[in-house]
Amino acid sequence: MTLNLGYFQGIESSTTEWKTLSFDRGRGAIEVAVPVLSETQLKSLCTRVKNMSQTYLKTIPVSDLVNIIDTTISSFLDRTNPYRQQAEDLLPRITGYDPEMIRLGLTSYLKTFRKVELNRFLSEDFSNPKILDEFQPLPKGGLGRAYGPDLLFHIWAGNVPGLPIWSLVSGLLVKAGNIGKVSSAEPLMASLFSKLLAEIDPKLGECIAIVWWEGGQNKWEEVLLKQADLVLAYGNNDTLRQIRNRTPITTRCLTYGHKISFGMISRSALDTGKSWTTAHQAAYDIVRYDQQGCYSPQIFFVEEGGAVSPEQFAQFLARELENFENKFPSRSLTIEEASIVASWRQSEELKAFSEEKRAFLADPNGRWSVSYSETAGEIYPSGLNRTIQVFAVGSLREVPSIVKPYKAFLQTVGIAASPEELIQLASQLGAIGVTRISALEHMTTPEAGWHHDGRFNLLDLVTVTEVERTAETAAEAFSDYVD
Amino acid sequence: MNEKQVIDSLTKFIIRHKTREDEFDTLALQIFEYQFNNNLPYQRFCRQRETTPKTVQSWKSIPAVPINAYKSLTLSCCRPEDIKRTFMTSGTTGDELRGKCHHPTLSVYDTSMITAFKARFMPDLKTIRMGILFPTENEMPNSSLAHYLALAYSNFGSDGSQYFITTEGVCLEKLFAELERAEKNSEPYALLGASYSFVHLIDQMEKSNQTIQLPKGSRILDTGGFKGQSRELDLDDFYERLSERFSVPRASCVNMYGMTELSTQFYDNGNQICPSKKSGPHWIRSQVINPATGIPTPKGERGILVHCDLAHFNCVATIQTEDIGIEIDNGFLLLGRAKGAEAKGCSMAVAEFLKIAQG
Amino acid sequence: MKFNKQIVLVTGSSRGIGAAIAKAFAAEGATVIINYIKNSAAAIETAEKCKELGGSAKIIQADVSSGEQIQKLIDEILQDFSKIDILVNNAFKPYIFDSENRKQFHETSWNDYQEQLDGVLFSSYTLCQTILPIFKKRTKGNIINIASDLVARPTIPYHDYMTAKAALIGFSRNLAMEVGQFGIRVNCVAPGLVYPTDGSMNTKEGLKEMIINQTPLRRIAAPEDVAGPVLFLASSWSGFITGQTLYIDGGLVMR
Repeated sequence: MTLNLGYFQGIESSTTEWKTLSFDRGRGAIEVAVPVLSETQLKSLCTRVKNMSQTYLKTIPVSDLVNIIDTTISSFLDRTNPYRQQAEDLLPRITGYDPEMIRLGLTSYLKTFRKVELNRFLSEDFSNPKILDEFQPLPKGGLGRAYGPDLLFHIWAGNVPGLPIWSLVSGLLVKAGNIGKVSSAEPLMASLFSKLLAEIDPKLGECIAIVWWEGGQNKWEEVLLKQADLVLAYGNNDTLRQIRNRTPITTRCLTYGHKISFGMISRSALDTGKSWTTAHQAAYDIVRYDQQGCYSPQIFFVEEGGAVSPEQFAQFLARELENFENKFPSRSLTIEEASIVASWRQSEELKAFSEEKRAFLADPNGRWSVSYSETAGEIYPSGLNRTIQVFAVGSLREVPSIVKPYKAFLQTVGIAASPEELIQLASQLGAIGVTRISALEHMTTPEAGWHHDGRFNLLDLVTVTEVERTAETAAEAFSDYVD
Repeated sequence: MNEKQVIDSLTKFIIRHKTREDEFDTLALQIFEYQFNNNLPYQRFCRQRETTPKTVQSWKSIPAVPINAYKSLTLSCCRPEDIKRTFMTSGTTGDELRGKCHHPTLSVYDTSMITAFKARFMPDLKTIRMGILFPTENEMPNSSLAHYLALAYSNFGSDGSQYFITTEGVCLEKLFAELERAEKNSEPYALLGASYSFVHLIDQMEKSNQTIQLPKGSRILDTGGFKGQSRELDLDDFYERLSERFSVPRASCVNMYGMTELSTQFYDNGNQICPSKKSGPHWIRSQVINPATGIPTPKGERGILVHCDLAHFNCVATIQTEDIGIEIDNGFLLLGRAKGAEAKGCSMAVAEFLKIAQG
Repeated sequence: MKFNKQIVLVTGSSRGIGAAIAKAFAAEGATVIINYIKNSAAAIETAEKCKELGGSAKIIQADVSSGEQIQKLIDEILQDFSKIDILVNNAFKPYIFDSENRKQFHETSWNDYQEQLDGVLFSSYTLCQTILPIFKKRTKGNIINIASDLVARPTIPYHDYMTAKAALIGFSRNLAMEVGQFGIRVNCVAPGLVYPTDGSMNTKEGLKEMIINQTPLRRIAAPEDVAGPVLFLASSWSGFITGQTLYIDGGLVMR
């Protein structure tokens, strides 16, 4: 039986059209059905979600919301829970990622939404989270209350499993009604999360809907863009531009585009004792979700002058990528993905034998490749799916000027360096647009409350109503207790 | 072998009617060794792949050069001063580097073209009156297609055959006059040219609701795909309309698949069914591989086409294309260019980056 | 075939144990580099046998006690094949195994030790130094060194020779430790008395009988007996084994 994905309340599922999506990534073929609502259905869904957001969600204290989400997440963390089991079974088949990588990845990702971490989310953005519940004194004087949108429209892209949960949780924390459009590449997790949440709090479940339509089908999108108070879109710049252009001028549109992340390895991490560990951690960042995340490294800059040379580091890295084939085997690629990898490999291979001071290390079966260059010229993305560039640099301090031209696309930098170097590099990198610096091995697992692309997850979603001090003072004059 | 010996053995091999698999292998390995020894960039490429003439036993394991390599490398065995003719690839955007294929002689190319063209397009006739929808060789001296069509014109075109496209564009008036003449005359007629020229032509004819009834035995040869010069068309639709406009049965609408980086062309036996089965003569062989692994894909599955064209003796005989194909009995289905997949993650991919970086 | 398309260098492989190893690799489809110093007739014969067995062979004359000749040897292999998969360090300096007239410790000069260290270790060391950069670039490679079971059980104490062979085992373990992270494996095989070889031609029957009596499998090793374990260590069947020494002596040494 085909599994129905998507999630919504108040519309008979037999009255909607269902589209079958087929996946065959070498881990067992599977078909799932996603709902294609009519424009009318979509409109009534908007009204319903908005309504529930106003009448129910806005009345629940944020601490209660934290508890409900926490309960949902802890069910999801429980490996005997049927939803969790479904995710573990289906995600590898849908995305092609190694089941073990998915299982571990789910746990490490979901635990960033436990109660204590959710409170961290809140306190990252609000010095007093109660401002989401009622008017609170503001430091500047007067009172303020933060309102989340009645309808937040999420447009998700990508096949890094579970990413929609991030923006869905953010929406719920600010008491927004949410309608999310899942991508064809990974329609599962947002649907499962919503279903599980609705089991725990059915009324909260009515504040969410998960829908789908074929990418580029504007008529559905237009319905939502018109109805939404706020739009949160992920995707490539072309897609984002179109979405933004179609969003009414009075509706805010927050966009998260594709990014490039990279690693930096100081000579202090390249002695004969630590270098292997450094390479192992770097390889892990590459292997995890096959570089599909915006935080996944595409380049490593390696400093010369350590006991282990950058070229040797590249060799370590290559070997570690090979070793990871045992732990987290790479997935089979579609012919299109394989073509991208192949064309990147070919061009690196050509450089390796036609230019001096280069080396190309690759698995003969194409599962990973490392392109090493002794000079870091212009940077460019890798072929993804376990293809990485290693550039030698005389000093890590040269790196910011190399990457500076790509300021708009930079995101995470994984650094292995001494505390002094770290601080020094951080200020240089921050200045050229890098928004996140992590340790190696953690590039693909941002901590709870991470400011995605340097933005505020929650604060960006709300508007604040202020009662100025003058109003407060003036009101005093009209009180019963006025002397 | 030296160049002369290569040319001699090749020519003999091509004009034979039938050859055995092991004979193809032997010649392929000899030509590989010749290219390995005389084409240093290719040798370096092979060495990077840990392959030398001493480690190869079959044409299937000869390292295939990606066609993009022609853009950055000079892949030629002969001395630069001995180059007689250079064919260049046509860039799709115009500003990119163009790949160059050098030929110290065109004798092998010509023998290859004429032999296969005769067998696949002209099995029943010695000559035919032709209309060519492509500029002449003089106008486009670096186009291998212009040379190909010039060979067709001079070897198989009967009196009155002519070109209808100059660098200025299509001479529609002249063309229709000629087609109407052919219509009245019962003599078979052949139209040859780039696929996109046919698209323009059909568009034009449909607009004015014009049809031509070409006599029985007439035929059409299109080649080159649409390369962004004309809107992408569904192949089925294209041949249906082509056949309708000229009253040439789809079985007589032949598509030639060739490229600058080859000296031999593939043909189908008409396009009743699309995509049609393509096959080449006995001096060219193809494999369908997974581009990431280089491993041949199982019969019936999509992959990237790799060709081993012995006639392309001066550059590199074995190339990896960017064309998607499916291996079937005695040939392959050509499914068009491999397009970069839409990035599925949120990690920036090369194609998007270039688009942004180039503004 | 297990070693199809693999390039295997066996030093000192025109005769004896080396030739037996070369032929065994060839029978599994390998291209074997037959290395010799003097006996070109034997090298040609071994190469012919290799081809008969279904492999390929290339003969290269080189004295592996010379760094310069080692470099030339490796260059020549790369010129032809562009890669090397497996190195078997088999060549050693000629040594007279004469149990009745061996040098006692007080007769053994430091120079005797030095010569054997040079003979056994230097060529292995230099070959490894030359070949490792190639292996590292491929992130794989396989080195097999030939030691002796006398290291573990000095039935006859050939002081200088066996000290050098013991050093070779230590050398291999340390190297295995360091290059494992590049995906390169280093192992040893330690044969007991192998007959017939040049070194054992003059071994007395009495000694052979004595060894046979103490050997569980009740015979003496033939050169072909050494080949099996070498092929095993060179193959993917031993993909997770490194730094080990396999004793090939019918169970004389057990550990």
